[in-house]
Amino acid sequence: MTQFNGPAQYGFAERWLPRLVLAPSFLLTLVFVYGFIAWNGYLSFTASRLLPNYEWVGLAQYETLFANERAWVAVKNLFIFGGLFIGGGMAMGILLAVFLDQKIRGEGVLRTLYLYPMALSFIVTGTAWKWMLNPGLGLEKLVHDWGFTSFTFDWLVNPDMSIYTVVIAGIWQSSGFVMALFLAGLRGIDDSIIKAAQIDGASLPRIYWRIVLPALRPVFFSTLMILAHIAIKSFDLVMALTGGGPGFSSDVPATFMYASAFTRGQMGVGAASAMMMLATVAAIVVPYLYSELRGSRNA
Amino acid sequence: MGALAIKNVTKRFGDTHILKGIDIHIDAGQFLILVGPSGCGKSTLMNIIAGLEAPTSGEVQIGERVVNDVAPKDRDIAMVFQSYALYPTMNVRQNIAFGMETRGVPRKEQEETITRVSKMLQIDHLLDRKPGQLSGGQRQRVAMGRALARNPTLFLFDEPLSNLDAKLRVEMRTEIKQLHHRLKTTIVYVTHDQIEAMTLGDRIAVMKDGVIQQFGSPEEIYERPANLFVAGFIGSPSMNFIDCHLAEQGGDVGISLQSEGGVRFVPLLDGRRFADRLGQKVILGVRPEQIEVAEEGEPALECKVHLTEPTGPDTMIFTQINGKEVIARVHPRAAGRPGDSMRLKLDVRKVVLFDPQTEARLN
Repeated sequence: MTQFNGPAQYGFAERWLPRLVLAPSFLLTLVFVYGFIAWNGYLSFTASRLLPNYEWVGLAQYETLFANERAWVAVKNLFIFGGLFIGGGMAMGILLAVFLDQKIRGEGVLRTLYLYPMALSFIVTGTAWKWMLNPGLGLEKLVHDWGFTSFTFDWLVNPDMSIYTVVIAGIWQSSGFVMALFLAGLRGIDDSIIKAAQIDGASLPRIYWRIVLPALRPVFFSTLMILAHIAIKSFDLVMALTGGGPGFSSDVPATFMYASAFTRGQMGVGAASAMMMLATVAAIVVPYLYSELRGSRNA
Repeated sequence: MGALAIKNVTKRFGDTHILKGIDIHIDAGQFLILVGPSGCGKSTLMNIIAGLEAPTSGEVQIGERVVNDVAPKDRDIAMVFQSYALYPTMNVRQNIAFGMETRGVPRKEQEETITRVSKMLQIDHLLDRKPGQLSGGQRQRVAMGRALARNPTLFLFDEPLSNLDAKLRVEMRTEIKQLHHRLKTTIVYVTHDQIEAMTLGDRIAVMKDGVIQQFGSPEEIYERPANLFVAGFIGSPSMNFIDCHLAEQGGDVGISLQSEGGVRFVPLLDGRRFADRLGQKVILGVRPEQIEVAEEGEPALECKVHLTEPTGPDTMIFTQINGKEVIARVHPRAAGRPGDSMRLKLDVRKVVLFDPQTEARLN
């Protein structure tokens, strides 16, 4: 009598090789991502200052955090930066994609050109824009040299406006990427849908607004996800462009966390702010993942 | 009254001539079929009629109006696409209403039209569904509903049935024909399927390489094809082409056909017309159903059956005449088995002759 023993038919190596190969990366992720998240969570409940210590203080670090004016500036800046960066980047990207979709000549060249900023690191973007926006060096000086001496563009050194320079650089960097995503989506739309709408009498803006862009809803949401987590994590762009200044006027949570934990000897507060950032990202990503996974299970 | 006139329309992309002087004229209420193999320019011609592409030269008239410089939306046309082209994010109701909404039709009138059209096409229970939730046949109906809502002077159908499965295709074909009988609107219909062309059309334009090969009624196209291409393209199984020579025997002009049973002379009707071509090569065109089983005592060709293909009502007999494979459509009871010999005769009243050089019909 023959009996079917599934796994027994495979050799030892076939059974263990996949697990063996995956083990190192699994272990590393477990320790260095989830382990350190847990450790950071623990630190946020301790009295750690310059160095970690394990004296339990409960929610005291969170109370300090919420009482800190600088932390609130960082949160407000995150909303300004996040909102404008996502909205502006998306609008610019969609506009570029729609224009490039009009079967124009040299599309390949233009597409590469617009996509290039994405190839740069945020540090390079920040530094380049710092020079351009520097009143004594960049745009303002150029216009002055042309003879318009009354022209001022000092957002970089103006505490009220400095966060908006980060927005400008951020949009510049990301809109090409958004464009690429939407262009791919637009190319997936059946040509005859547009022809049908033309015969129905719709103008080109109306065709895009009523028919094409609604059909790109999935692209829209993926883009939103990507831009949102870039916005919340944004650190390097701010560090390179304004360094959080002038003063702490352009601080965002990530730079605040860095400053607290590593330069101001308030590791407990830094850990608490890092936990708050994690919670913010989770608040966005978890519902998204949930809906995605549920969607794919139904499909 | 003329409904559509296409006058010497050409279309060129660089050095590629897509359309080389198309002339078509149909009357109001007629069903025009543009048929041809892929790449023959029929879809380009359709786009030119719709105004989605501009002709390089020539004139398009819809009704009494030259529409060369009129935008698609102002041509008073409606179009049904092969891919249905439904707006994916709108439900059926919105899909049908979109055109009326764009033209500023009052809401009450929109509602009435949607009700009327959806009842006519039996899609009234689907109005709140999205296109993604519909089957192919239902999408096809919605696409037709959207066109009907416009109530145009000219309907354009661009291979509307190509994406449906075989059974549904036949059903929808009948429905389109019924719709045409009821509405009596002029229809231009593009297809590569010669059965659709024959069953639906009042007028058929057979196209190849950007040229209209023949323009006429289905009967004309079938009975009297203008050239070898039309003869071979229309009809299934397609027409048999037999190479032969014109000869004279006993005062009659005819052709001699050789089969396994020997050579036989077949006189042609009105054969004296070809007296000046005696001895020359011609191509004899004979449709499978024009080869019949001969009665007892009738002169006939002894043919060996190579293969049979029963289709149910008829059986296709594969045999050889003049070294060419020939298909005869006979009654299943009369059909021999492979290896048998059968006595066949041609219906000489219906056979056609083609010139092997010009490929044009001779008789």
